[in-house]
Formats: sequence, structure tokens, C-alpha cells
Amino acid sequence: MLRRSMYSPTKEDIDDAVAEGLDNIIDRLLQANPLPELPINYYYDADPYTPVGKSWVNNPIPRADNSNTIRRSRIRSVVAWTMGLGLEEGVSIREKMTLFWHNHFVTGDERDPNFVYKNISLYRQNFLGNFRNLTKQTTIDPAMLRYLNGNQNTRFKPNENYARELLELFTIGKGPTVGEGDYTHYTEQDVVAVAKVLTGWRDRGYLYRPGGQLPGSYFTRNRHDASTKKLSHRFGEVEIADMGDQEYSHLLDIIFEQEEVARFIARKIYRWFVYYEIDDVIEKNIIYPLADILRKNDYEMYPMVEALLKSQHFYDSYAMGSLIKNPWDFLIASVNQLQLDLGQNIQRKYELWLRISNLSELLQMSYYTPPNVAGWKAYYQEPLYYRTWINSTTLSLRFLLTNLLVYGVDTDRERIEADVLGMIENLEGANEPVALIDELVALLLPEEITEDQKTYLKSILLPGLPDYEWTVEYNEYLANPNNRELKTAVENRLKGMISGMMSLPEYQLS
Amino acid sequence: MMLNGIKVGVFSQSVLDEIIDPNSDRIFVLIQQNGGNDGLNMIIPIDQYQNLSNARSNILIPENQIIKLTEETGVHPSMPGFKELYDQGVVNIIQNVGYPNQNRSHFRSTDIWNTGSAAQEVLATGWIGRYLDSIHSGFPEGYPNETFPHPVAITLGPTVSETCQGIAANFSLAINDPNSLAMIPGTVGEELPDNPYGWELTFLRQILSQTNEYAEILSDVAEIGTNVSPLYPEVGANRLADQLRTVAQLISGGLQTRIYVVNINGFDTHANQTSATDPTTGQHANLLSQLSEAVHAFMDDLQRQGLDQRVIAATRSEFGRKIVSNGSFGTDHGNAAPLLVFGTCVNPGMTGENPTIVSQVDPADGVEMKIDFRNVFGSILIDWLGASEGTVRTIFSNNFTHLPIISACSVTPTSEVTEPIITVRAYPNPFLDNLSVQFKTPGGHARISLIDASGQQVALLADKTFGAGEYTVEYLVPDLPPGTYYYQFVNGDFTKTQSLLHF
Repeated sequence: MLRRSMYSPTKEDIDDAVAEGLDNIIDRLLQANPLPELPINYYYDADPYTPVGKSWVNNPIPRADNSNTIRRSRIRSVVAWTMGLGLEEGVSIREKMTLFWHNHFVTGDERDPNFVYKNISLYRQNFLGNFRNLTKQTTIDPAMLRYLNGNQNTRFKPNENYARELLELFTIGKGPTVGEGDYTHYTEQDVVAVAKVLTGWRDRGYLYRPGGQLPGSYFTRNRHDASTKKLSHRFGEVEIADMGDQEYSHLLDIIFEQEEVARFIARKIYRWFVYYEIDDVIEKNIIYPLADILRKNDYEMYPMVEALLKSQHFYDSYAMGSLIKNPWDFLIASVNQLQLDLGQNIQRKYELWLRISNLSELLQMSYYTPPNVAGWKAYYQEPLYYRTWINSTTLSLRFLLTNLLVYGVDTDRERIEADVLGMIENLEGANEPVALIDELVALLLPEEITEDQKTYLKSILLPGLPDYEWTVEYNEYLANPNNRELKTAVENRLKGMISGMMSLPEYQLS
Repeated sequence: MMLNGIKVGVFSQSVLDEIIDPNSDRIFVLIQQNGGNDGLNMIIPIDQYQNLSNARSNILIPENQIIKLTEETGVHPSMPGFKELYDQGVVNIIQNVGYPNQNRSHFRSTDIWNTGSAAQEVLATGWIGRYLDSIHSGFPEGYPNETFPHPVAITLGPTVSETCQGIAANFSLAINDPNSLAMIPGTVGEELPDNPYGWELTFLRQILSQTNEYAEILSDVAEIGTNVSPLYPEVGANRLADQLRTVAQLISGGLQTRIYVVNINGFDTHANQTSATDPTTGQHANLLSQLSEAVHAFMDDLQRQGLDQRVIAATRSEFGRKIVSNGSFGTDHGNAAPLLVFGTCVNPGMTGENPTIVSQVDPADGVEMKIDFRNVFGSILIDWLGASEGTVRTIFSNNFTHLPIISACSVTPTSEVTEPIITVRAYPNPFLDNLSVQFKTPGGHARISLIDASGQQVALLADKTFGAGEYTVEYLVPDLPPGTYYYQFVNGDFTKTQSLLHF
């Protein structure tokens, strides 16, 4: 459960979960922890408004030769910071939900770091908040206004980009085409009308001077289409008269009256946490009840997600171990499970966090740059869904990466290396190979593996040697923890075995 | 099977013979006797029999049952096949092999034999890996390719051999099941549950098998290759024989792999090394019997197929055992032991003398080391695989001493025996912050550049005139996006471009 609902639970987290009981740990998982520290300028010493080590959030960017460099340093910072939050989060669903919303309300290619920060903070703060309110705030979020041209949507020249995606991807979803321009849940007429409703909103662009206005959005009445808009029969042909800067909110109240909105987001949550295939049985027995909970609670997400996590279905063998980890998840899990020590220096940590996010890019997932407005294909593209993450190149890279992390990476300053002895020191059966492998399987892999596979792993740990040799050598190391040769010898065996375990295809699942 | 880009699997055997020069490539097979082999019970110093019977009377082979190789030296009675090979002159027994300051930990000593390090030194790469790095710079990026379409090294068994660990990757491909040539366990076999977990895992396994670019080549080669010796035991009866049979089959099929590692486990005979009633039987006798039978059949197979002049095999074990036996009809971890080298091209006979056993052996003593294993393998690298002495000194240590284990055989030397005048490699791959380009040049202007995937030069690492010699250019990598890069080395008319992965 933890593995699917948070990043990389540790042995301690799992033990706590067992001790506390499932309901308690789920409550803890869903609770709103204090918000994280702001992202900092971690390296660029020529940012006139932000000394190194301080946050740049809400600081302007000067008009200067280096304004682009400052901007890029802040974008890097926010990416690194996001990876750091995932790595250091502990027991919480928040970062996974933040990414869920980022993947749902996609923005990308945003050049202004403050807009990026403001946008992602909206989802982090409301990670289990009210879906309708979140949609309202997203609709006038400056990054979104820019990404889907809401800021160019005027009564003189309506731009339908956001209106279309709001219906198709963000709220009610596109159903089967049943008539010309009729997509079951909405029609082309609605796209036109919604675009008109949303005219007049603008973002505040780059801030070049201190004392200027904070990044945000604002409403310009003379750009707004004040005519009365009429929605299609899909929305009961309701008419929307001019309400100025409150009109968008009224529109969303109307859209959210449709039951399909709750089902649409319930399916997406299901695909995020359980599995991508939704057949009629899942639709009726899982999606509809979840949608009902959402509507009964006025679109508050918390009760619905709680219900899913506490549902019997979530623990059915059908739902276990069926998620192929996305690259972000895969990296956070691997780095944490291997107990890589990234040090204490915050600036250095940002550098390393950025490195890790770069690896995610190599594995085809860049935070803040989803491939298109629909998000990452893994969560919507039939028939592959999660499988889009895996091909022979990315899978080889994943193996190469875990192997590299296990055996250590030399950076220009330090050697970063898995603490495999640390990984096992709290395992009860650490000095007994069969128990050791069992416990590591339980920690690293989603399901029990076969005896053949365990024999294989043991043959890496103990090539041609009887089991007690592990006990002998491990105990000898424990008795002489400072003896480098003993330590290396035991460590080498263990590294081989753990690397072998992480190279099982099972490791890609959670 | 692809050879120079031509699919040859459809050709007849005779056409294949013309394409593959059977003398073109020499093969080295490493036989790992895991657990610590009791050498005294394998190659028995008959001239020390009296003192041996004081030290290990409960397990010692009765003198009249020892198979004599010479008047002074015999072999365990379960090894008649070995005796035959010895008489054919295709065995060199190297006595008292080990390393100074023997470490009696399995793990540590195995590390030492794998890496070829000194007893107090900790190395991350294997000695075969370092040798292969000197030939295959940049591996695994760009492999397989037209020049090296086949695995560089193969380990028979579930895991890659640490002896083949190179700087960036392990050179060996693990072939788990010698009979089906199936890859890594957990990718084949057992039925998966009919649920999302099973479906996704099935998908992952399919991709994994595609990822193994050598799978098709191996199955094609295995189809062409044969075994003709009647001496092999039944499949499943002798795991070492099964492995060697597969090796012979792959060699016969034309696989250009030059390194094979096979394993025989179970030599850690602390108890019941021999049966309580008959010291010629028991666990160790069974293992030696398997070793003898397997190698005998393997050699016979190669001889019958005319492949024997291409193959040298050598055993190794992490240590010998104590001279004095224990009370459980077993022996504990010791020091040196004999190492066996097989092949038509070995200098037949024995290297070194029988160990000397004193009349009152200290219970803690193992056989004293006389020959450093690194000299054995270094000599094989030079005389058999064509490494230069300089390379071998880099791989092991400067204390290398050549041993005349390999004879001048009639095999045409391979092209790699004459070392190229210019060599270059870049490491590590994948690289992170640091990239080193190491090259050997006869002198002249050399230019080393780093190029990104779009062909843009992102850095110039060197652009000047060098005197003859070996150089390493260190490059501190700036903030480059991860992905594929190329380094290009130009020295006179010599140009080399190779891809590298940046994380």
C-alpha cells in the first residue's frame, strides 16, 4: 500500500505501518504536513535580488545581460527542489498527488520560475483539496493562462484552446462522438460558449523591477465578452449572463453539476494508484462508488482517495504490483532504498537533486515539461499506458542506473554509493542468507518471487558456498566493522545480490 | 547469426567454414572451483606420503589407489580422465599457486582472485575485465557491432563473472541454462498469475529478452554448433560437463567470444570431504570426478572437431585447504593449491615442485604459496591472448614474472597479437563529471573533442602536439544535459569516434 501511495517507504515506515494498523497509517499518509521550505538560489552568485542560499520566490528578475542566466538558475532550482521534496518526504501522499495534479492540469515550457513555483504550489497546497476549487484556481492560474492561451482569449478574438481542454481533459472528458460536434458529454457549441465565458483574463508577465506586482493574473473587463452565452443540451441549455470576473467560477459550478466530472477524475485517480485498465466491472464497482463519494463530499478529494486506499479492492491480488514505476518514482525509490547519502550541504544537495531529475529526463520524464497538454502517455494512451515508459533502451538504462547506484558513482567532489550494509543492518535475518533475501524481496519487490529466483539471488550472494558462510563472514564483519577488507568482502557479495534483485523485471513494478 | 552484416544462419556448414577461419581466434576458458579446493587430495605428492599420512590420515587416499602421473606425483583415483589427458601431453599442472598473505575468507579471497589485486588492495574491476577494457574501449556502448558481433565474454551460470567486471560494465553475458541458452532467471519459465501484475511482468520480460541483443545470435550459433564426444555424461548428471558442452557447442558454431567462465561449486569441504569408511569416495571425490570427466569430454570434443588448438582452459579456486585434516573427515581453509591448465597448446607436465610436507605439521598451516596466480594468468594473457607485457603489468602489478605455460602452437597469431600503434579509450562510460581519455601515440598532433548528438562540438579536450608515449587527458565535465555524446580522437591519419553516455 505504501509503495503505491507514496515514494519509497523505508523498512521503518513499513514496520510502523504494521504496528500502527492500516487505517492509522493511511490517515497519516493523507494528513496535511507543514508546507516545505521555499526553493533557494543554490549556486548563482550574480542574482542581484537573491543571495546564494536564499529563496528567489517572488523576487524579480532584473533587466540585465544575465537575466536569462538568473531565470535558468531558478528553473533549475525549482526542478531540483521538487526532486528533493520527493526524496525527503517520508510518509505522505502529498508529492505523489502533487504530480498527479501536475499531470492532470498540465502546464509546460513555462519560462518564468515564479509562475512555475506558483502553479505547482497550488497543487501541493490542495493535494487532497476540493477538485472544483482547484479547477477554478487553475483556470485563472497565470502559468495556465499562458500555456493554453487563456491570456489571448478576448471578446475581439476568442481563443478556444483552454475552453476545449477544460472540457476534454480537465473536467468532464470527451465521450464517444455521437453526432456532429457532439462528444456525449459536451459539444462544439459548448467549447465556443466556454471560451467566451473565459475571455478577459490575463497574466502578469515577467517582473523586471523590484517593487513591481507579484506574479499573478487579473481580469480586464473590456476584453471580456459580456454577451449571454448558451451551453448545449448536454448542460441543459443553460444560459450564462455577464458576471465579469466571477463568470468563470459560475461556469465551473455548472460543469461540476454533471456526474460525469466525478467519474472522470475517479478514473484518473484509479489509473494513478491502481491500474490502467477499467472494464465494466471496475467501472461499476469501483469508479461509480468513488465518484459518488466525491459528489457527496462536494468534490473534496480527501474522502474519495481515503476510500480507495482503505477499500478491499486496493488490497486484492488484482490490484497489487501492477504499476510500472514512472521514471520519477523509479529514481526516488532507487536512491532511497539504496540509502544513498547525498550529504548535508544544502547547495550540494540541490546539485545532486538536479542530477537525479536529469536522469528522469533521460528515462523520458521531465517534471514541468509533460509531453503535451494531456500529460504523460502512461496515464491516458491506449493500449500501452504504463508500458510506454519501458522499451529496450529505457529498460537497459534503468538497469544501468540501479547498477551504477549500487556500485557507486564518482562525482567531481565525492563518491556517492549505496549503503548496502546500512540497508540490511535493521533486518532481522541479516546474518542468514535465506531470511536476508526474503526480507529484501519484501522491501524491494512488489510480490513474492519464485524459489528459483531466490536461489539465483543466493547464488550471487554465495557463489558455490554453503549458507553458513554468509553468517560467518557477516558476523565477522559485525565484530570488526572497521576492518576495510572484511567490510568490502561482505559488501561486494551484497552489492551483487542487490543489484541482481533490482535487475529483476519485478523491480520495475510497485 | 550476423557476420560482417551478412545473415549467415541460412548458409550451409561448408560456406560457414570459409567465412570463419577456425584458427583465427584463441579462446580462454576459466573453470572456477568455488569453495576452496583441497589440492593435496587432487594432485597428491606421493613423495610426501609418509608425512601426509601423519597430518591427514582420516582422509588420505591409500597409496596403492593413487593414480600415478610420475613416480613422485599422483592424482586422485576418481580422475582417470585427467590421467589420460596428462599422458596425452595436454595438461600443465602448476604447483602451489596462491598469493602472498593468503586471506582465508571465502569472500575476500574470491575478491582477490577475481580482481587480481594484492591481498591488502581493494580493486573494483576484475582482471579479465581490465584486459578486455584495454581492447574494447567504450564497452558496452556500441556493442554488439560489426567487428564484435558476439558477446565479448560468456559466463555459464546465473550470474556474470566478477572476473569480467570492467570499468563501465561487466563484459560477460550470463547464460543461465546451458541447455536452453535462456537468459537471466526470472525472465523465463514459471507461469505468471492472470492479473495485472502478471500481465505487466510478462510485458517487462518480453522487453528484457529484446534487450538482450545477443539472444538471437546465440540461438543461431547453438543451432549450428555440435558436440561429438561420446565421453560426455548424460545431461544433468554433471553440471560442469553440461557447461563445458555448451562452450564446445558455441565454439563449434562459430561464436567469436574469446572468454568463457564456468563454475563448479561445493569445494568447501569442512566435513565429509571423504566418506568415513572409504577415503577414495565422498564429496570431494565426486567433485574431482566431475571435473575430470567434464574436462576430458570437453577436450575430446574439441579434438574431434579440430578446435583443440584454439582453446586453453585453466582452473582456479580461492584457496587450498589446511594440510592437517579435521575430525569431521574434512579440511579447513588453507593457502596454496595446484592450478590446472589444459589445452593442446600447453607445455605439458608440471610447473613447480611438489609441496613439502614436514613431519610435524602445524595444524594451522596450509600449503605454502610458491607461484603467484597473477603470474599464471598474466602469462596466459601474453602467450595466449596476445596482450603485451606492459598491459599485463598494468592489469596486475609491476612484479609480474613470466611463466612458460603455453607452448609455441601452430595457430596463426591473431591480429590482436600485434598491438596497434595508436590506441585510445575514454572512460568512464557512462560519464558524470569527469571524463578521461587515455591514448597511446607514436607522437604528432592530436585533437580530442566531445560532440553532442546533433554533431555540435561541446568541448575541445586537447588540441596540440604530443611526443611518443601514453597520455591521459582529464576533462571536468561542465553542466551538460544528459544523453549520448561522442568523443573524437584524431592523431595524424588515425581517427576514432565513439559514443558515450552522459548522466
